[in-house]
Amino acid sequence: MAVTAPRARTVSARAAVSVAVLLIVAALGLRLADPQRVAWVRTFLVIFGSLLIQALPFVMLGALAASLVEVFVPIGTLEKLGRLRRPLQLPAAALAGLAFPICECGSVPVARRLAQRGLMPSAAVTFMLAAPVINPVVIASTFFAYRGRSTLWTMVGGRFALGLIVAIAVGWVAGSRSKDDLFKPNPEEAHEHLTELGRPEARWRRFFVHLGNDFLFMGRYLILGATIAAAVQTFLPTSVLDGLAGTTVLSLVLMMGLAAVMSLCSESDAFVAASFVQFGPSAQLAFLVFGPMVDLKLIALYAGTFRRGFVRTVVVGVAATTLVGTLWLGVLFG
Amino acid sequence: MSDATIQRGAERVRDGRPPPVRWSPARVSGALVLGAWAALFWFLLLTGRDAFYLSTRTEWVIPVAATILTAATIGRLASARVTRPEPIRRRELAIMAAMVAPVLVIAALPPATLGAFSADKRSGFAGTGVATSAIEIGSGELTLVDVAAGQTSPEGERALAKRAGETVDFVGFVTRYDDTPADEFLLTRYVVTCCVADATVAQVRVVNATPGAFADNDWVEVVGAIYPVGREVIVDATSIEPVPRPDRPYLSA
Repeated sequence: MAVTAPRARTVSARAAVSVAVLLIVAALGLRLADPQRVAWVRTFLVIFGSLLIQALPFVMLGALAASLVEVFVPIGTLEKLGRLRRPLQLPAAALAGLAFPICECGSVPVARRLAQRGLMPSAAVTFMLAAPVINPVVIASTFFAYRGRSTLWTMVGGRFALGLIVAIAVGWVAGSRSKDDLFKPNPEEAHEHLTELGRPEARWRRFFVHLGNDFLFMGRYLILGATIAAAVQTFLPTSVLDGLAGTTVLSLVLMMGLAAVMSLCSESDAFVAASFVQFGPSAQLAFLVFGPMVDLKLIALYAGTFRRGFVRTVVVGVAATTLVGTLWLGVLFG
Repeated sequence: MSDATIQRGAERVRDGRPPPVRWSPARVSGALVLGAWAALFWFLLLTGRDAFYLSTRTEWVIPVAATILTAATIGRLASARVTRPEPIRRRELAIMAAMVAPVLVIAALPPATLGAFSADKRSGFAGTGVATSAIEIGSGELTLVDVAAGQTSPEGERALAKRAGETVDFVGFVTRYDDTPADEFLLTRYVVTCCVADATVAQVRVVNATPGAFADNDWVEVVGAIYPVGREVIVDATSIEPVPRPDRPYLSA
């Protein structure tokens, strides 16, 4: 379906240069003022910078993989997979996450491209949610974080199994909705003409245009999410949770909420989860399964990628299945 | 772009003349944003500032990002000459400015670290797996990571208790809370697994310090005898010297 770009006001080259000069002057002013003398500003900037510096390379790797899918994978390949029956397709998509060892920021652009290239959107969503939880690097880091503890295999196995179940359940909820029902059009691409006088542009040119577009599209939401997450981390003391650690359901909800606001990379969150010794294994699992699927920076990325109603579906679906799953694991394993 | 322009281009093709090729402002500006981020990653790599944001486990992302972003910038610029150039819209310009702003903030400001302000807001270090085991705590030189890990498990506590009275040499920054006595402070260091956002706290209580000699966030080297008392570890200082902030201010788990 052709996407028509809305008419919008354009700017001249002079205006663009003026904005660039303004930014540089503002940076010089910032250097002279040195706002980092104020403790909370310093803390905010350090956390904000570290979130971006760690996550942006993964967004770039995700954009790279997505552009390779867009330009070099024949459209029929993924359409064939899309014709598989859903009970087969969703677990297959979830297990494909095993082969994608990067964290959650990279899986969003890849899922979007997979859906655009013909994979059933629900399978793309399942892949997007599962990959950051079950990939080998994440499982290994969970193993190391809990090594030497009696709960080691509960945490490693529980994270893998529950991650798969939650991802498949949310994919199932997405059902047979089309990609236009789930995904927003990318405004970066809406006005890009990847044809030159009726002929498609060369592959390498399309590859770099898609790569840049995906980075610019995802990057803006990552910056927004990192800003919110850094602000919360600057002011929220983790000790506020201590008094509520003993309450079963509340402790699960709290740990899910904490995972969402901390917005940690799924490759490091196990070390932080393991530090919450006042919480039981179920609550720590809730943190480890929910966080890589729903956090502040991811919600910002989802808001740019999916239609609003589906963002709500993902958040509610992941929260509900994680809660039920961890409650059951609590009953079974304590 | 008007239909007439496209028509003229098509006529040029029919006439056998190559269509006019111009820079696309949208693609060029996108390349500049990519280039700004590429420059930031090279800057972090060449100045060693990556240590202020990432652990040793994840520092590999810096050269990878710098390389991919540089290639993406060059590729986008190389594909920016087109027959149908796209203008930049106001909203896009604002978004691109917002995307470049963090680059300028990070590059313009001097490198900073988490300090005493965050010490009571973050959880304690508990990475007994990667960094330390009870066997490691029980032998060899004691580090702040060993001590912090030793406080989180019964085996670690026992291993640490056997080292009571031994001399340790720790570097960290001074943290004081409202109830900290004047001749004591908490020697603090953050332990980072991937990035500073996941930092956890490793702390020991230093006693026998000269009151008023050191302020919050001052980096010091403390030499003294270590005494684990329950879940707390006390260092009876024999020497406390000011030191410059280490090049790698965070400990890696």
